[in-house]
Amino acid sequence: MTTSTGTPSLHADSPLAREQAGLDACVHCGFCLQACPTYLALEDESDSPRGRIVLMRALLDGSLPASDPDLRQHIDQCLGCRACETACPSGVPYGHLLEATRATMRGGHAPTFASRILLAVFAHRPLMRFAMAMARLLAATPIPTLLLKLPGRLGFGMAMLASTDFPLERAKYVAHGSGENGSAALLLGCVMEGLFTETNRATERVLRRNDYSMIAAPSQGCCGALHAHAGELGAARRLAKRNIAAFEKSGAQYIVTNSAGCGAMMKEYGHLFSGDAEWSQRASDVASRVRDVSELLAAAGPRSGGVIPFAVAYDAPCHLQHAQRITEAPLTVLRAIPGIELVPLDESDQCCGSAGIYNLLEPETSDAVLERKLDRIEASGAALVATGNPGCLMQIGGGLLRADMRARAVHPVDLLDASYAAD
Amino acid sequence: MTEPAATSVAEELRAIVGDRFVLERDAVLLAYQSDGLPGYHKRPSLAVFPGSRDETIEVVRLLATTGTSFVPRGAGTGLSGGALADDVVLLGLHRLKAVLDVDIARMRATVEPGVVNAALNKRLARHGVFYAPDPSSEAACTIGGNVAENAGGPHCLKYGVTLNHILAATVLLPDGEVMEIGDRDGGMAGYDLLGAFIGSEGCFGVALDITVRLTRRPAAVRTALADFAHVADATRATSAIIASGVVPAALEFMDNGTIRVVEESIFAAGYPIDAAAILLIEVDGSEESSDAEMEVVRSLCMESGARTVRVATNEAERMRLWQGRKKAFGAMGRLAPNLVVQDAVIPRTQLTDILAQIHAIGDSHGLTVCNVFHAGDGNLHPNISYDAGDPDQVERVHDAMSAIMQACITAGGSITGEHGVGLDKLPYMTKLFDEPTLAAMCDLRNAFDPDHRSNPGKVVPVHSCREWLAAPAARAPARRATDAR
Repeated sequence: MTTSTGTPSLHADSPLAREQAGLDACVHCGFCLQACPTYLALEDESDSPRGRIVLMRALLDGSLPASDPDLRQHIDQCLGCRACETACPSGVPYGHLLEATRATMRGGHAPTFASRILLAVFAHRPLMRFAMAMARLLAATPIPTLLLKLPGRLGFGMAMLASTDFPLERAKYVAHGSGENGSAALLLGCVMEGLFTETNRATERVLRRNDYSMIAAPSQGCCGALHAHAGELGAARRLAKRNIAAFEKSGAQYIVTNSAGCGAMMKEYGHLFSGDAEWSQRASDVASRVRDVSELLAAAGPRSGGVIPFAVAYDAPCHLQHAQRITEAPLTVLRAIPGIELVPLDESDQCCGSAGIYNLLEPETSDAVLERKLDRIEASGAALVATGNPGCLMQIGGGLLRADMRARAVHPVDLLDASYAAD
Repeated sequence: MTEPAATSVAEELRAIVGDRFVLERDAVLLAYQSDGLPGYHKRPSLAVFPGSRDETIEVVRLLATTGTSFVPRGAGTGLSGGALADDVVLLGLHRLKAVLDVDIARMRATVEPGVVNAALNKRLARHGVFYAPDPSSEAACTIGGNVAENAGGPHCLKYGVTLNHILAATVLLPDGEVMEIGDRDGGMAGYDLLGAFIGSEGCFGVALDITVRLTRRPAAVRTALADFAHVADATRATSAIIASGVVPAALEFMDNGTIRVVEESIFAAGYPIDAAAILLIEVDGSEESSDAEMEVVRSLCMESGARTVRVATNEAERMRLWQGRKKAFGAMGRLAPNLVVQDAVIPRTQLTDILAQIHAIGDSHGLTVCNVFHAGDGNLHPNISYDAGDPDQVERVHDAMSAIMQACITAGGSITGEHGVGLDKLPYMTKLFDEPTLAAMCDLRNAFDPDHRSNPGKVVPVHSCREWLAAPAARAPARRATDAR
């Protein structure tokens, strides 16, 4: 018998070498195969979790160089949805392995020039604000709707922007609550505050209405998730440090996010700084206070509001379902809204193909994964698809617009907010 | 390095299935060097994945014309090294995943070989019927692979193995001929070719479509978890239940080591981690008969020394109990980087004695053996976790597994219950069968695959098939159609 484990590593000090125990946990049983959207779409095991783990081992033991184009292609084609983690009996920490592999392959740089520029903008607050302001201006014109059928990423980008237009009426109401459920500081988030500003305000309202007091954490910034996923672990740590300091200073009992990807990242700040004597404890402390907005709402009830008469399908963001392992809370929130008919959505636990900036970097695979999602939405008969992550909202929302489907994507919090407004 | 003839085979394959589905480079073949038993690594000369029935026929005919050997592969979840291609062509059938027909009136469904076992059952659920054989890898393994291995599973105790649930198949012989075997209406005339094909481990060709028997869901199901402080009490309870005349739908055994890895996993089922062993016992039928049978099971377990017997009170709890059992094999990665599992069948009455022997063999080799198996039909699965980086440990694992298999053979058992012989159990075949028997098996193979090009070197040891020695050309001309870079 031979094996690739236990052999000397060419990358002994690499991020991947530090995750060796995670690699060792895989026994190649294959139970992950059918959970993997890229395996289902591409039909090649090198695009499956266990296949990619074999490639990671080869990188680590030096049998494949980091420059190998096949290695790069299959590692880059991974969505990072982590659906394999909730299928894995051995508890392989696949998300960590993927980030460490990407960091090891390219010495901490994102794969393409375009992605490096994009991530640099996310890391730079004034630039990010400017970019988001431009995007908002564009979204307020008819241009995105006119151009959303253009082929390629330009048309898709326009569809994503056009999809940020909230499909229901936003009535005003003032949210009152006792604040007795504790204090919470909202992670504003780059895309949420940039393109879903009203959803952030709605988040603050529904939390107040459910007796949380809201506290500002003004010096916060990007959570670093996109950087970590691309293997830019150094950049991710710099961003995380800023947020750790900001939320420590806020003194809030909970750090609340309405973006599943950001929440998953912040909950793993402890792992990001493992072995760092100065930051490890601080990071773990902040991480332990992070909650998805659906968790806080479900814990508080949530309070019931007015009638919202729609057939709603819930599509689980991967970073909520698989990374944070939150399945029931968003459903509890939706069930609390009078008038909503929750319709089953087949494969609601599967990725939509958004995956951070993946839909911009790997358009073909992303489209193949999205197509399957749109088919399931069509079959569900839902008028609204509720999902709590900005990437998924725009991927599904944009996909629906381009496919001329009548359903629209909304954040669950916006539905609850509309319900309170209608009360 | 590249031989002109080999290159042309790869090019012709590309013309049939498209560039993306012919793999030749080292990096992209890595994922296909192992099946579910990753102690073995064999590099295929190339891999080809046809996307339709017609493409499959074209591919196999091309391989026949060029005298190229090939190994069929489903999802690569097998546990005997059966789908390993050692320098020959790997023929992946996982892209053939259409459910062609579901005929509830005739209680049958016709599927392509790459349809995943659990996906078929998901599709059937709304009709109140199911396809009964349920290997633990059901979430990933394919019906084609199940047919090749004559796969079992926990519920085969009552419902029977794959063989009992296949009505017909369209088979593509290694020479490219297409043949219908079996009878979709369940009739039978002449020799049982279908029976010969099922469990032939890819040596008799591949199935293009498979018609399976559907079974109506029982009206009632009861699932119990019996908790024992001593292994011998659990095996005694097993014998008592079978002797009572109750035929459980499933009767599964897990020892302490297995319970612990499952309880650490995402599939934690609430098994008592201080138990020496647990039995998972399911009975089904009508509401009344299930309750009555479960009462018999409960009292027999208690009489045999069970600490508690807990019956699942709802479907979610029942599924949780089962998920723990089904994912146990995959959870063993928590113990050590490498894992080997065996698959032996022994007379059920010898369970207590064999388990003691297995324990002693583990001890004397300085290894821990975890047991999780189908107790009701005496189908053992000893698992040994180890570190392949330690050559001494590898040696001890090898010796211990041989000793365990020898003990099972001595007890009157067999070397496989459901995983097949493949590559891993080839050495045991000569211990179990004499030369004339092995030669008869070769004669049967010759009827389907006279050139021995389909899954060469598996199941029956080469020296038993004298033709092989005379025909080294069975090795693929395409064997070096690789190293393009």
